[in-house]
Amino acid sequence: MDLSTVKERAGPRQFGPTDDMPREYREAATRMIQFHANSEIMGAYIERPFVRQAPSLDRKLAVSAQVQDEIGHGQLLYRAAENLGIKTREEMLDELAAGEGKFLNCFHYPLGNWYELPMIMFFVDGAAMRRQATLKRTSWEPYAHAIDKICFEEGFHIKHGEDILRELATGSRRDQELLQRAFEKWWPRILQFFGPTDDQSTHDDFSQEVGLKTMSNDDLRNAFLNAYLPKAEKYGLEPPEYPRVEYHEDRDHYEVYEEDLDWDEFFTVARNELPTGRGQIDKRRRSQDAVAWVREAIETTPASGDTPAAAD
Amino acid sequence: MIFEVFRQETESDYHEHVGNVHAPDEEMARLFAQVMHARRKPANSLWVVPKEEISEVDADDPGVAMGGTTQKAYRWATNYSTGRMAEEIEASEAEQVEAEARRRSTRSEGGDD
Repeated sequence: MDLSTVKERAGPRQFGPTDDMPREYREAATRMIQFHANSEIMGAYIERPFVRQAPSLDRKLAVSAQVQDEIGHGQLLYRAAENLGIKTREEMLDELAAGEGKFLNCFHYPLGNWYELPMIMFFVDGAAMRRQATLKRTSWEPYAHAIDKICFEEGFHIKHGEDILRELATGSRRDQELLQRAFEKWWPRILQFFGPTDDQSTHDDFSQEVGLKTMSNDDLRNAFLNAYLPKAEKYGLEPPEYPRVEYHEDRDHYEVYEEDLDWDEFFTVARNELPTGRGQIDKRRRSQDAVAWVREAIETTPASGDTPAAAD
Repeated sequence: MIFEVFRQETESDYHEHVGNVHAPDEEMARLFAQVMHARRKPANSLWVVPKEEISEVDADDPGVAMGGTTQKAYRWATNYSTGRMAEEIEASEAEQVEAEARRRSTRSEGGDD
């Protein structure tokens, strides 16, 4: 299929492994899905320490279920990406370990304490969910397929995140202060979640033309602010004065003053060069190395045979 | 040989199991599958798979636990009362509610065997 046919036919779940897709499409889809898969994995690693730090058994169970889900989402997405024939799953995992794989800006920062956890679990996951919901209509069918399961599970994550947020926001004065501090720290990063405005994004246009993306980053950011700023207010959280966010009622639009955000840092993050992000990448690489023997054992076991395990 | 047939109605649907066909080889199986399962009903694609190539995990197999038979309320959106949510979160929760309803009805149909 040539590129003009792809653009003509582009629609929800239009293309799959049996279609002969042009290289440009397969590369763009790989870049997008690999980024998404990497982000699921790195997100799981950010949240993992809170399985141990959870203040109650209920929270511990829920956080561990969430971490488990995220790893599963990563696996689903690597499969969807692998179908495009550009990279194998092994290559993508190795790229992530080598610091070449890209992932969401927010997962380059460590979570300092329990008060910061809902910043990821509620706001960042909420932003991700806003984006994922639009990807049920992506043109690469295996991607949409994976998104179905992700969206099914993700509602629990965001509601649990909000439940933690609410508990802290209605807690002691100290809880409220620490929560506000966490919010101020994370808010600029959350605003940068959807990247710079459209005119600066290099991949947006093509991805939309071939139906991989169905909504621009600007529109997504706006929809996110529309749904989540009122939630922040509900829990008494005050956005810091800077970066400025102004609501224009006439066009139902939130204007984010881009010049108030630190884009140098954003692009440092995007190059995987932020020290804390490097730390996260290395941490995951050490885990990958630590279980290499398991993968090797699985892959060298003959499919059938008289091994003791098979006899059981 | 027996071949299981999975039919996809339109390109945005999942393939669903619709039955099986007897055929001497794959080519004939594909033909029979078309005749049996895609002649009257619209179909975008058929998967035709030799029955013995399908591995199965049965819910009754020893050591198998599938489909949320244990109490894990903490794992569902419905466990948390956080008021009105963004539409995509409400949609996710609605899917979970539906899945839970299906689980309940399967459980009551299955009795206490």
